Amino acid sequence: MKHFHIKRGEKATRQGAPKQDVIEEQGAVSVALLGSDMPGLRPKFEVEEGERVQAGQVLFRDRRHREVAYVSPISGNVATLSFGARRTLSACILTSDGEVAHSPRVVPVGADDGFAIREVLQGSGMWSAFRTRPFGRTPVPDARPEAVFVNACHASPLAPDPRIVLAGKEDVFARGLALLTKLTEGPVFLCQLPGAPLSKGDDRLEVASFSGTMAAGLSGTHIDRLRPVRAGMEVWSIGYQDVIAIGHLFETGLFMGDRVIAISGTGALPARLVRTSLGAKIAEVCQPEERACALAGDALTGRDAAYLGRFHSQITVPDGPVRQRKRFWQANRAAIPSALVPTGALDHALAPDILPVPLLRALSIGDSETAERLGCLALIEEDVAALSRHCTSGSRYDVLLRLVLDDLMADAA
Amino acid sequence: MIGIDHLSPRSVGGVTIAQCVALIAPLAVVATADPERFALNLVAALVAALVWEGIFATLRRRVLSFHGVTTAFIVAVVLPPEIAIWQIVFAVSLGVILGELVFGGRGFGFVQPAAVALSLLLISFPELQLRQSTTALAVATVPGAVLLLLMGLISWRVLVGAIIASAVLLALRGAEMEPVTVATAMAFALVFLVCDPISAAATPIGRWIYGALAGGLVIVFSPPGAPTAEAMVFAALMSGVFAPLIDHVVILIHARREMRRHA
Repeated sequence: MKHFHIKRGEKATRQGAPKQDVIEEQGAVSVALLGSDMPGLRPKFEVEEGERVQAGQVLFRDRRHREVAYVSPISGNVATLSFGARRTLSACILTSDGEVAHSPRVVPVGADDGFAIREVLQGSGMWSAFRTRPFGRTPVPDARPEAVFVNACHASPLAPDPRIVLAGKEDVFARGLALLTKLTEGPVFLCQLPGAPLSKGDDRLEVASFSGTMAAGLSGTHIDRLRPVRAGMEVWSIGYQDVIAIGHLFETGLFMGDRVIAISGTGALPARLVRTSLGAKIAEVCQPEERACALAGDALTGRDAAYLGRFHSQITVPDGPVRQRKRFWQANRAAIPSALVPTGALDHALAPDILPVPLLRALSIGDSETAERLGCLALIEEDVAALSRHCTSGSRYDVLLRLVLDDLMADAA
Repeated sequence: MIGIDHLSPRSVGGVTIAQCVALIAPLAVVATADPERFALNLVAALVAALVWEGIFATLRRRVLSFHGVTTAFIVAVVLPPEIAIWQIVFAVSLGVILGELVFGGRGFGFVQPAAVALSLLLISFPELQLRQSTTALAVATVPGAVLLLLMGLISWRVLVGAIIASAVLLALRGAEMEPVTVATAMAFALVFLVCDPISAAATPIGRWIYGALAGGLVIVFSPPGAPTAEAMVFAALMSGVFAPLIDHVVILIHARREMRRHA
């Protein structure tokens, strides 16, 4: 097992870490599929508002790639379907009826060749679990990745421990990993914390361990150390819980719509692990006292949102809501973005081998050519979150990076 | 362990405050020589810097800022006590306006405004002599330098690069010189003019080169004997002008190396 110690990046904190033993069941009445998790996706709806749906039933398909379906994680009713700008998806909100009715199994349980596996994943809502590098988007149906990276590395003690989540599901997980090797000609990397390997590994499946800062838990760091993205090459990343769900799908033919998340942070009462639906409404998962300041995601990338996102495994509850105060000398005067002072903290914030200050300068002026030369294709939003926190300019580099990536993606297309 | 990440300021105002704190000890040392005269010079420099900053902020309808304070502090430490008030106002005004305000304020320019102020003053009045560094001033610089190092506001690469380059050049010259004398002469200007994070290079290798360039230029500009304050000021200005070019070359080399690593 290869091991990598990551020195750069945000230091992990133990404060507000959950007890990693019991998983509470906490269903949600209201769940949502959010457009922000599928940027640019134009949906073709297969259901109407008010219609009854079962868990695993197709809600909509990608208008450009009809084979890629998005399914309901629960059984219940469709409450709202809303479009965003240019007919993209804004949100699809469902209301659970508390029953567990699964849509009839569509999966040939014994599917074994790569083509059949792809078809099943695309038709059953599991295709969107993959994210590509470069660009961090759902892969196109016929894409062939050079490698697949499974992220089972919870570098922050505030995230759920994969060992607890995997307990009793080792077989399904192994099945999922074996299926991933059929999607690529290259290797599948399982990235985890140091300790007993989560899988034995074979000639197609390599296990690697990462330790150190929070950046050790980012797929961008794993890819940089194991197989850096070069021009014209694509790799995929996927979370370990989605690998379990893939294994479950092929084992039982049913869509697995629940995930284990951690409600953690110093304001959590108490910090705990819960099993809830994908896209659950945060107010229903949290205690009433936690609701006011709960963030979807970890402390660094967390956003103030009503619903959990597709890739979130944490709800962070800080001590109290953060308030911005305007001081008297700022009255009636524009606060322009302030300057970028190259402090020592910026040099330590980015784990991949990319020069941070030139990258930030290129991002802040939207110079996609220079950003590409510096290696921004290896990054997505979560990788640069630490830079936004430490930079004196107060710029949101995740947003700026996405603008540059969109620009480069339009050029590549 | 408390690392740079926790101590680094997260706003430009924080950077300015940290630099001001680091400058308190050097100011105090210089002030003891002739307190009244020094107080007058300092107030003149402060007023000149802040008035221009206020005028620019008002014209641009921006939030008022106070970054000129560090420029005024550095200038007040280095200027000779007998200088006329109007000369101070002239130097600080030019430095603050041409060194940072025309670029949009602190952090948007590429030269250290105090270095601009002092070099324009020296060019305009060649007979003027800057205050030469003393042992007391050099010692008083150390705590501030340590603070700025811990906060990540000066780079050890620049410091070490400058020290190595000047030592090598001095050895090549064959001059007999006490290391302590050289260190005393260079300490203040090295920390506050050359190592300023905004004018210095911003890539790791670039910082070595930038530091070496600054340290080398100090020796080249100095007459035989200990480095002078004038040489330090011009070396800081010249190397600051070259810092963006150094960074550009480093980026190109880095990109090429990455391409080869991935190929």
